[in-house]
Amino acid sequence: MADAMLELSHVTMQFGGVVAVDNLSMHIDQDEIVALIGPNGAGKTTAFNCITGVYTPTSGQVFYRGELIVSNRPQGRMKTLYAGSHKDFPTQIVVNTPDRITKMGLARTFQNIRLFKTQTVFENVLIATHLHRTSNLFTATMRLNRQEERSFREHAMSMLEAVGLQDEKDELAVSLPYGKQRRLEIARALATRPRLLLLDEPAAGMNPQETDALGRFIVDIRSRFGLTVFLIEHHMDLVMDISDRIYVIDFGRQIAHGIPEQIQDNPDVITAYLGVDEE
Amino acid sequence: MKVFKIILAALLVILALVITASALTTRDILPALLERMDPENLAAHDAAMQKAKDRVTTALSENNPERAQRSLDRYINGFSAQLTLSGRVGYDLFFFRNGPSMLALALFLAVAAAGLIAHALDRSSKVRKLVLPAILITVLYVGVYIMENIAGANSMLMTVLKKGAIYALIAVSMNLLNGFTGLFSLGQAGFMLIGAYTYAIFSIETQSRAQVYQYYAGGIIQFQLPALLSIALAGLAAALFAFLIGWPVLRLKSDYLAIATLGFAEIIRAIFQYDGLGPLTNGSNLLRKFTVFETALFPFAVAGVCIALIALLIHSTYGRSFKAIRDDEVAAEAMGINLYAHKQMAFVISSFFAGVGGALLAMYQTTVQAAAFTSAMTYEILLIVVIGGMGSISGSVIASFLFVAASEWWLRFLDNETMLGSFRVPLLRSGFRMVVFSVVIMAVVLFYRKGIMGDRELSLGRFRRGLSRRKKGGAQDG
Repeated sequence: MADAMLELSHVTMQFGGVVAVDNLSMHIDQDEIVALIGPNGAGKTTAFNCITGVYTPTSGQVFYRGELIVSNRPQGRMKTLYAGSHKDFPTQIVVNTPDRITKMGLARTFQNIRLFKTQTVFENVLIATHLHRTSNLFTATMRLNRQEERSFREHAMSMLEAVGLQDEKDELAVSLPYGKQRRLEIARALATRPRLLLLDEPAAGMNPQETDALGRFIVDIRSRFGLTVFLIEHHMDLVMDISDRIYVIDFGRQIAHGIPEQIQDNPDVITAYLGVDEE
Repeated sequence: MKVFKIILAALLVILALVITASALTTRDILPALLERMDPENLAAHDAAMQKAKDRVTTALSENNPERAQRSLDRYINGFSAQLTLSGRVGYDLFFFRNGPSMLALALFLAVAAAGLIAHALDRSSKVRKLVLPAILITVLYVGVYIMENIAGANSMLMTVLKKGAIYALIAVSMNLLNGFTGLFSLGQAGFMLIGAYTYAIFSIETQSRAQVYQYYAGGIIQFQLPALLSIALAGLAAALFAFLIGWPVLRLKSDYLAIATLGFAEIIRAIFQYDGLGPLTNGSNLLRKFTVFETALFPFAVAGVCIALIALLIHSTYGRSFKAIRDDEVAAEAMGINLYAHKQMAFVISSFFAGVGGALLAMYQTTVQAAAFTSAMTYEILLIVVIGGMGSISGSVIASFLFVAASEWWLRFLDNETMLGSFRVPLLRSGFRMVVFSVVIMAVVLFYRKGIMGDRELSLGRFRRGLSRRKKGGAQDG
């Protein structure tokens, strides 16, 4: 077995005295759909932000296809404040900004939709092709990159077609209905040509029919683009339906891990979601 | 419709040919005129006329009607020759004086005709896209040229046009940063100052340097560079400073850039007046006797090329990522856009063109003094950008011409005390102009929340669509 697509090793993220993610270790293999679930405030999005470079974790390492992309140990004030449960810190320090991580092949969507508000649907996707440019400032300004520009436009258009938004391409992104904005965000992430797609609550605010369609869509793009998908989601039907494996976290800690059937019956998960039965 | 366009084009071509012919065949009428006006010649002419008149009288008294008729004819011919001459004088004088502008006018008409024909014959989008803007640009430049020749190079109109063109470039450069990349910078005056000084220092005439740098033993630079090279150096100097400031500041998030650039502009103004730099900057004294432009076409050409470059940049893949950064930094970064590198790019390019604008301003003013580049100048340009619309190149251009015209020209009368008969108009006195100007600006901001153009551009397509929509609307109403 080759290296995992993504591997987290003892990742801890602490804000001041609050440990948002505590000693999280997980691995995602190629072509899998893995879900990360947990009650509100469990630290799911923080974990995402540690992977994609928005935050640098206080301690821990992240590997992408065997390559160390994030590695840190408590520094400065954190040396004394550190309250995580894992005390064996990595020695290396590797920090990557989100743009570099995206260039490596990880693309993400956001929990609260972050589209480029003043731009059209097509332009939103077109921007995501910028990272594959070979033109420099001069050749782009003097229009010496027509070939590349055309291929960018074709690629962006094919991404819009993949999510079925080709007819709305000239509308303002914000004028789309909610569900379509979510799909547009996925199209934009796909336009960066990722291998690993991180979806932060893609079904938030969707009705059951839309959620159902989204589930089929995620499975579909996985095979079509050869993707591995890592998603955060609250819709249990969707998660149980499409996930190969599920990680459950609560208060930043992993409380369960397994295939959907195992998670459904796990007493810890039920406790975390429903609270302790008082009898 | 097509036939109509072609007929109109043909008429324009004929008119252009007639004007060209007249302008080319016109001769300097003055020597001939002076010769005619010579007292001797005039006396001879008068004598000839008198003689003809006398001959008519004699012939009549001799009762010889045929001879009388002939003499009368000669007399009348003499008169009409005089008349023809005077008509010819006016015509020739007009074409002789305005020959170049008349040729320009002919060119203008010919281009318009060519455009009409191209438009009538080929409806493909490429022709429309290229021909119409080309015509408009020619029309603009030829128009400026004609106005300059008719109104005079030092007229108020030309002053406003020159300064407007320079401010347009600076406003567009600021808009690239503030409107398109979403970075709030207040250092424009500082970069203009660097540009103006760099230009002036390199293009002062060598033989005048001793006079200009009289307190600093003629300065340390003893050569003169060509104007265009000096302008390029002005831009590069401003860009270099921008790079050095952006290096630490642009890595920070939020609005630290505004504070840092404002501080930079204030500091650089003081540094350039520092006595120790005198051999280079002439201390707090004026820099003068450098190359200036003779015609308004120069600032129009330089500003036009620079604005076109900025527009091309904004519509390239880099410009798209600038706009992405403006709209949402987090999402832009997640799409693989290196925030620091792109902000630095926008900042350096914006400052480069501000430096070029500063150089043009130096040429326009003919002298440069650091004390003039105050933060008020930055605010003026910021005002133009906001009134024109953040994120609209054409908005900035339109607003800068309106701004300069209003502040320099149209509202001037408010500063003069005026008497209507014996009634002294109240409020009109020195400084009242700025009061009215502020009210006008407030009104503009009230009625155009996002500036005159918002974040749209002036485009022919939009204009045409607007017209046809109005037509359709009219038809429905009818």
